[in-house]
Amino acid sequence: MEQNDHQIVREVLAGDKDAYGALVGRYLQNVFRVAFRITGDEADADEVVQEAFMRGYQGLERFESRANFGTWIYRIAVNCALNHVGRRKAGTNLQIAEDADPAQQQVQLADTAAGPERHLLSREIEALQETAMSKLTATERTAFVLRHMEERTTTEIAEALEIAPNAAKQAVFRAVQKLRRSLAPLRVTQ
Amino acid sequence: MNHFSEDALIEYHYGESTAKDEIAHHLRECSDCARSYAAIVRDLAEISAPATPVRDAEYGGQVWDSIRGSLRAYPEKPKAWWTSLLPSQQWKGFAAAAACLLVIVAAFFAGRFWEQSKKSGNPTVANNGGRERVVLLVVGDHLERSERLLVELKHADAATEAPLQQEARELLADNRLYRESVKQGGDLTLVSALDHLERVLIEVSNEPAGLSQARLDDLQNEMNTDGLLFEVRVLRSRVRGDVERKERGPLQTKGVSI
Repeated sequence: MEQNDHQIVREVLAGDKDAYGALVGRYLQNVFRVAFRITGDEADADEVVQEAFMRGYQGLERFESRANFGTWIYRIAVNCALNHVGRRKAGTNLQIAEDADPAQQQVQLADTAAGPERHLLSREIEALQETAMSKLTATERTAFVLRHMEERTTTEIAEALEIAPNAAKQAVFRAVQKLRRSLAPLRVTQ
Repeated sequence: MNHFSEDALIEYHYGESTAKDEIAHHLRECSDCARSYAAIVRDLAEISAPATPVRDAEYGGQVWDSIRGSLRAYPEKPKAWWTSLLPSQQWKGFAAAAACLLVIVAAFFAGRFWEQSKKSGNPTVANNGGRERVVLLVVGDHLERSERLLVELKHADAATEAPLQQEARELLADNRLYRESVKQGGDLTLVSALDHLERVLIEVSNEPAGLSQARLDDLQNEMNTDGLLFEVRVLRSRVRGDVERKERGPLQTKGVSI
């Protein structure tokens, strides 16, 4: 029979370090997904996953028995990813900026024909979207990913980012406004 | 006709608006707002989550292997020596009886304490007053430090960027703590100002690109830091007044206080 999370936590705290491996396996995919969405980079997401589970282990004594381990490790992962994005130097992911010629983008988007061009185009749109995302601050980016892609509520975002609900809400608003401004040239010919 | 802001429409789109019905009704009546809302919906629909790379079944093992070596096992908790003297069933019965006894004793003393506190007035009021004074004192200091940071932010250049961000990080941690304390006291004006301050501190401390002059200008405009500076100054002087009043103690006046 599968052990529940609280039993595993008790075993780990009683000295059975290897029991933690089961928790890693159980929540790995969720942690990796949110880490990847926030950092936007596979290697960074791998680092965040390792850091989150390490911090989770080290802080296990503070984990309350009433809490849900999945939610707890998710919040740690969001924080690690936020710090990761914050530390990342500006401009690292801006190499595609040269391609972001608004005039060309307008012509390309108007072409709705299927085929290799269309495929290439959707890749370009993704790239432009990532460029626009990289212009957000770490907090705005994280709040937006949690709201828009992870479908978390403002309260959950505020708890994960350890900020006031109003600050979380404002971060989402600013992110949406900035993204709309950045992606505006794409829409002109639609 | 009052139109809804972009923020209100974004909030509505994510299903978190407190004025859902009102906005829905307005969108049926007002073509301008309906157009704005349709544009928001369309723009947000275009922003999709990137496909998450697939991680195979071995990934969990790999992650665990990579961190296992750096984790120290928690020390085993030794059992109390006297528990081994009792057979387990007997021990459970003994524990249950002890717990019942403890509850009865606690209820008895709680009753006595309640009787006494009723006779001797309400000493917790005085304790709360002392606590409030301490909170106000530390919040006053915090506002002073924040005021200095906002003034520095106003006149910042590239050379002052690093110490500013460090100071903002320290203030941010304190600010969260004080906001919660003030919130419990019910001072909504102060809570709102600390909330605004927190948003500015988050932006300053988490700014990945550093604080260029352009970013500082953006911050001034987006976060209305001048307005916040004024707010902090006013609140600091008010908090100082509150502390002095609490030090003097309650005024002995007749009539109703306003």
